[in-house]
Amino acid sequence: MPSVDMREICKYYPESGVKANDYVDLSVKKTEIHAIVGENGAGKTTLMNILYGLERADSGRICLDGEEVVIRNPRDAVRLGIGMVHQHFKLIRPFTIAENVTLAMEQRKYGVLLDRREAWKATEKVIADFGFDLDPGAKIADLTAGQMQQVEIVKILYRHADVLILDEPTSVLAEQQIRTLFDTLKNLTCLGKTIIIISHKLDEVMSIADRVTVMRKGKSTAVRNTDEVDDKELSRLMIGKGITYGFKRDASVPGEPVLALYNVSVAERTGHRPLLDNVSFSVRAGEIVGLTGVAGNGLEELEEVVNGLRKVDSGRIEHRGLDVTNASSYFLREQGMAYVPSDRLRRGSSLSSSVLENLIITSRRSFLNRGFFRRKAMEKFGREILKHYSIDTDLYVPMGTLSGGSIQKIILSRELSAQSDFIMFSDPTWGLDVASAEYIYSRILECRRSRAAILLISNDLDEVLGLSDRLMVMHRGKVVGVFENDGTLSKETIGEYILGLRNDFKGDAGNDGQATMGRGDGNGGGIDDNVVGGGSSRDCSDLSPE
Amino acid sequence: MTITLSVAVLLAIVLIFLLSDDPGRTIYYFFAGPFINRYYLGNLLNSAIPLVFAGLGIAVAFSSSAFNLGGEGQVYAGALVTAAVCLALPDTNGFIGGIAAVLAGVITGAVLAGISGYFKMKWNTDLLISSFLISAAVVLIVNFLITGPLDDPASSLLATPKIAEQYRLLRIFKPSKLNISIVFSIVAAIAVYTFMYHTHRGYEMRICGLNPDFARYGGVNVNTYLVLPMILSGALHGLGGGLAVTGTHYMALKEFTFGVGWNGIAVALIAKNHPLGVIPAALFFAYLDAGAKAAMLHSDVTFEIAAIIQSVIFYLVTAQAIFSFVKYRQRVS
Repeated sequence: MPSVDMREICKYYPESGVKANDYVDLSVKKTEIHAIVGENGAGKTTLMNILYGLERADSGRICLDGEEVVIRNPRDAVRLGIGMVHQHFKLIRPFTIAENVTLAMEQRKYGVLLDRREAWKATEKVIADFGFDLDPGAKIADLTAGQMQQVEIVKILYRHADVLILDEPTSVLAEQQIRTLFDTLKNLTCLGKTIIIISHKLDEVMSIADRVTVMRKGKSTAVRNTDEVDDKELSRLMIGKGITYGFKRDASVPGEPVLALYNVSVAERTGHRPLLDNVSFSVRAGEIVGLTGVAGNGLEELEEVVNGLRKVDSGRIEHRGLDVTNASSYFLREQGMAYVPSDRLRRGSSLSSSVLENLIITSRRSFLNRGFFRRKAMEKFGREILKHYSIDTDLYVPMGTLSGGSIQKIILSRELSAQSDFIMFSDPTWGLDVASAEYIYSRILECRRSRAAILLISNDLDEVLGLSDRLMVMHRGKVVGVFENDGTLSKETIGEYILGLRNDFKGDAGNDGQATMGRGDGNGGGIDDNVVGGGSSRDCSDLSPE
Repeated sequence: MTITLSVAVLLAIVLIFLLSDDPGRTIYYFFAGPFINRYYLGNLLNSAIPLVFAGLGIAVAFSSSAFNLGGEGQVYAGALVTAAVCLALPDTNGFIGGIAAVLAGVITGAVLAGISGYFKMKWNTDLLISSFLISAAVVLIVNFLITGPLDDPASSLLATPKIAEQYRLLRIFKPSKLNISIVFSIVAAIAVYTFMYHTHRGYEMRICGLNPDFARYGGVNVNTYLVLPMILSGALHGLGGGLAVTGTHYMALKEFTFGVGWNGIAVALIAKNHPLGVIPAALFFAYLDAGAKAAMLHSDVTFEIAAIIQSVIFYLVTAQAIFSFVKYRQRVS
């Protein structure tokens, strides 16, 4: 009999128009480790939030041990023996382990006083019963990420949970800590606990889980035993078939390299592994270079590095041959580098400012007359942009009152109106409806026609495949694949690189025969550009910036 | 706003009926009192001047998300330093010495608030707390200076000696204390408005306050604008204090600016942080105060009752201002 049985769960977000869960089924057996895999936005976390009572399903049934239950909030879930470890720990850093574990369930003396001894003893008992190695008196702030995660698990066990949900538990852990976590989880199942783990790291899923449910675009698409499936099949199930867009990418001959990165690295503060690891590539005039990967693998960092919002620790960035490494955002904009950020609501716009004030942020100095704004010129500029990009709004409306699509159109129009020779788009269409997305695609292709160099960073594989001339995949801060997108490239192939199943792109010449390697200029910061897999292998000399 | 104001006035009338033995008379003096003679009217306008400066100081800071709670100390210290400079230069030319004295007050305010901004930039300290604490300490220091080293032994007041004749600003509506600094306050409001909405520095400053991520993305040096709004805010407070000495009191009295710093926050709230809106908001505030005073003098209400009626109106209007501000914030986010 299944321990957790979720049937036909639906959850719709009217604000963004997203069907996060669309008749999802999940069946987890007692004392098994069950993995839920899927791309970003497939609906895994929503499903678990519903099970833990953080969100309520629009429809569907949840049964625990065969009995139908209603979970209105996390307190209901805890009462029913369900516990959840979130991706980002919810611990109070200055408190001790015992204080965190017993929080909100404190042992009391005389009804009012906190019984520290009792809290300590109870925590110690849970730690001993389940074989952890933690000191209840240690402060959270002094622990490693792996230990903090153990505290989160102890916290749940203290609340007598039988079903443990772990959301991306390995994303913050180092190799060794991951192994410890897996030992812990196996041990817990032996002690009668049931474990659900959300992940998109297939190798980990294969090594730890007994069964796996695959989710794609809000639906549960398959359930498999891990010993009857290989990771290639799982990745195919996760990624699915490509979709075709209503636009056509006509042929374009790339020109001079406009932006080039040479061995750019960014270290993480805690130092587990670099956020960016020797990243080298170039973007040439008139081409779209797509960059994709799973969240947390360096895309966000690269986005910030290229815009000057994050400093690099080593390596060099050149814009038209000019060294712009660690230059300020202002300088980069002066150089003609435009940027449509993924975080359009915080970084891309100021919601409480007017549309006009949002439009002039990058060109503000061009309206100055002895330090004062020429308001007429500014309004003319704003009106022309609105007209040219057919955005139906007023210049003095606060940005935050507009729809997501309009906000993105305004950001896009601002960045495109600067006539830049390099434009970086990051997730330009997330959360937008199809019409808005098509509009944005047509604008991006227009930039390409006007010979701008375009870097498209996106989690959306279909988007990257549809638009890019060249496509790069990042995994764990490294570029693990570069492909010519000549129409023969399949989504499945890219998927394998994205999920880290294939890693045959190395600085040392092709280790499985597919990779070829080109070397750009010398000076130690040479660029290594490889073309592997999928598409046609090609001569790499024209990938180098020189 | 109209509804709120009508409700407030109605409530005030109800209170007066409850608390006064001669409600007709009290109502008359409360609402019409400030206009019955030149003296009251002039003083009403005059008492609005420091509120305009404090309100502008707060509007500059708040619209850039720099929360200056130290207005009280900045006004008070600005006033004392202005008085002290005037006293130190008894024979200088009125124009030059006067400007030097007021400028010293302005700088005092700017430095006091600027320290908080600098701490914020350097160590990310909380502006609310640092500005408040600095101000609280400064008030005590100024009290000490006025009652101690700078006290005028010849006078029974806890105050500095009077400043020399040539520093006193022109009175323009005798016998009231209204003086030409009212012109300065209007000029200041226009200047602040122009700076904030018609210059790129003002634009960058507001954008940094509203959304630092967006500002950084747009290539604005965000660190500069952590300090600048505080400096401007402190300078305006200091200016208000300095002009209160040279225009109204001719000396620095113990706690004579009492409440101006806090009332400035209320004024800015009612004005929704718009520099030009600060003028009517300050006048409204001053009017309530003048009405309460007139009612006390001419009718049977005591200071406490007048204060209660005044606060009722004031709280309702401020609540409305805060409410619409919060609603606006919710709508845009």
